[in-house]
Order: sequence, then structure tokens, then C-alpha cells
Amino acid sequence: MAQRRILFTINHAPFGSIHYTEGLRAVLGATSGIDEHEVDVLYLGDGVYFALRGVDRSDTLKYIDTLAKAGRKLKVDQLSLEERRIAREDVAPDVEVISRPAVRELIAKADFTAGF
Amino acid sequence: MANLYLIGKPFADTAVGLAREDPGAEVVLLQDGVYLSVQALLAAGKKVYAVSSDVDRRGLSGKIGRGVGLIDYPQLVDLLLANKVLNFV
Repeated sequence: MAQRRILFTINHAPFGSIHYTEGLRAVLGATSGIDEHEVDVLYLGDGVYFALRGVDRSDTLKYIDTLAKAGRKLKVDQLSLEERRIAREDVAPDVEVISRPAVRELIAKADFTAGF
Repeated sequence: MANLYLIGKPFADTAVGLAREDPGAEVVLLQDGVYLSVQALLAAGKKVYAVSSDVDRRGLSGKIGRGVGLIDYPQLVDLLLANKVLNFV
């Protein structure tokens, strides 16, 4: 299989389930190997709580660091933040806040998506 | 190829909001997703399906919204293979 563009969406809030960390592990898997797929990581719904400044990243840090080294920035849906009254300054500085039109563009550009 | 939104209950708000604004969206209601109100999606002209076994076992046969297509698992598989899937289950 050739290189593909894969959008990973993370809907689960951090902690209490394996999704927030397994999602990032899967992202890393997709970026490695023969095909080295292009990936985007997008936090939606309650998943956006992971983007908060000060969230404990001890079990995800190695994945995030590796993605950062590969030039991949985590993205978070602005509308989901607003619905939860999370201010932009409460979002970690290494996470990019994107608008709904930008979310739709990511969906349109992706060859596949995977939800966690 | 449509963007096929698989929608269950836990992430329904996000999923329905995204699907409603997505011109290429079609929706499949799964598991407790069959309890959702889909008026907004139907009003926006979206194709909406519900998995019939999930409808039947919840006693909702005949109560599911008009305009919602009932599909079985083989039909769901056909839809999964023919479209870009966005999982919200």
C-alpha cells in the first residue's frame, strides 16, 4: 500500500479509558513502517480536554514528542472548546486550535479516518 | 463517495453537528445512536440509516423516524466499503 493521508479523531476524554493514549499510539504506528503515512490528529468533543494546559502527559509524552519531531502538531476543534467554555489560553501551547471549516477540510483531505 | 458518519450515543453531539454541516455526509445510527433525534439531519437533506437489529432489540420497530432507512449488517458493510468512514461510536 502506498502512502495515505489518515485523520485520527480522538473523542474520548483523557483518563478512565485507554482511548486517549491508544489513539496516539496508533497514530505513531501509522507514521512509521514502510509507508510512513501522513497523519493528522484531531481532538473533538470531550476529547478536547486532553488539550488543556497542565494535563498529565506522562503516559503519552513519548508519542507526542515523536510526532512533534516528525513535524506533526496536535489539533483541537475550536467549537468543541467553546461548547465546554474552554478559553484558548487554557489550551497547551503545542496544540493548534482550528475552526470547523478547517476540520471539514481535514476530513475532505483524508483518505481514511480512524476514531478513538 | 460520501463521508459516512457512524453515530452512537456518547459522541452524538459532535457527530451530528459535523454531519449536518458536511455537504457530503451520510449517517448510520448504531447501538444507542438509534435513540437520537435525527430531524435536524433529515431537514438538512442528509441520508440517514439505522441498523435494524439495534432498532428491533430496543423495541423501536415502527417508531424510528420517517425518512430513516433500516439496514442490516451486510448492507452496513457495503456502506463501510463504499464510503469514507468517520467513527463516532
